[in-house]
Amino acid sequence: MASIIRRGVSFMKNSYISSSARTIVTTKQLNIKELREQKDGSKLVIEGVTLPSLRAQLLVRAQNTNPSLVPSEGNIEKKPCYMCALGLDVKHTDVLILSQFVRSDGCMLPRRITKLCRRQQKKIGTMVTMAQKAGLMINLTPGNCKKDPKKRRDYKKFNTYFDEKTIFMKRIPDQSDKFKR
Amino acid sequence: MGLHKPIYHPMNDCGDVVVCINSREIALRGEEWRRRAYFHHTGYPGGASWTLAWELHNKDPTMIIKKAVYKAMQGNLQRRHTMERLFIYPGEKVPDDVLQNVSNQIRQLRPVPTRLDHIPEEEVQNFPKVMDYPEDYVLK
Repeated sequence: MASIIRRGVSFMKNSYISSSARTIVTTKQLNIKELREQKDGSKLVIEGVTLPSLRAQLLVRAQNTNPSLVPSEGNIEKKPCYMCALGLDVKHTDVLILSQFVRSDGCMLPRRITKLCRRQQKKIGTMVTMAQKAGLMINLTPGNCKKDPKKRRDYKKFNTYFDEKTIFMKRIPDQSDKFKR
Repeated sequence: MGLHKPIYHPMNDCGDVVVCINSREIALRGEEWRRRAYFHHTGYPGGASWTLAWELHNKDPTMIIKKAVYKAMQGNLQRRHTMERLFIYPGEKVPDDVLQNVSNQIRQLRPVPTRLDHIPEEEVQNFPKVMDYPEDYVLK
């Protein structure tokens, strides 16, 4: 009898603990572009508003401009990312393009947001750093950064330029080359 | 130098010079400012010294251009006389007697890049967009 009671208690306990520990959220995915705060007397209303993306009509995609360049959907493996498909020769001085991949505090956006391929993410991330170091994106820099190069110290205060060839200096050899005769 | 003149001779003063301005604003590539070292030896034992490019530029903003031109020339007896025909000024101020004889301009090879905050707001807003935020992105 005692064992049955104990088992019952333990079952109750388990169900109680598991119900408190588990937090399964079954709401819909949030599509929020902006958080708005409104103060109405003593009431504070915070709402997430889905807004159309800024300057959406100016978006450039390779399939819109030149559909022949983009391969058909049959071979999904070889489908290039939108930056590869555009085939632009971006330099670190093209701040108007690079500033799109950057948060308002100057940080590079992660790959899950930019949706770039690995190679392009690395390339653009390095070029953003180059532009920051050369002092070309002064209004998009972290707060602790000495924004203007002239206010920096020592070797950092003079003008610099960068060569984009140095981004992929380390050539990663293809493993299949090893067995070629 | 006046190599294009028919009266040119190394021992002849043709009157041609090169004036270089704004040498304080030169740009070096990548990490060159702290990687490049200039060697000097006084001639005495232990008299060797290595000065980094940014240290040299702090002391004399004309020195890096002067050394670059000097190194690029042939190491003959004419070199030091030809160097006399190069005037380098750290800023835009050029003496009047030099400036009044300037007849032509050699354009710079590398254009100065435009800073993002110097581009007008209208142009930034109308520039074509490449990256679009995902649906669930919260603007920061």
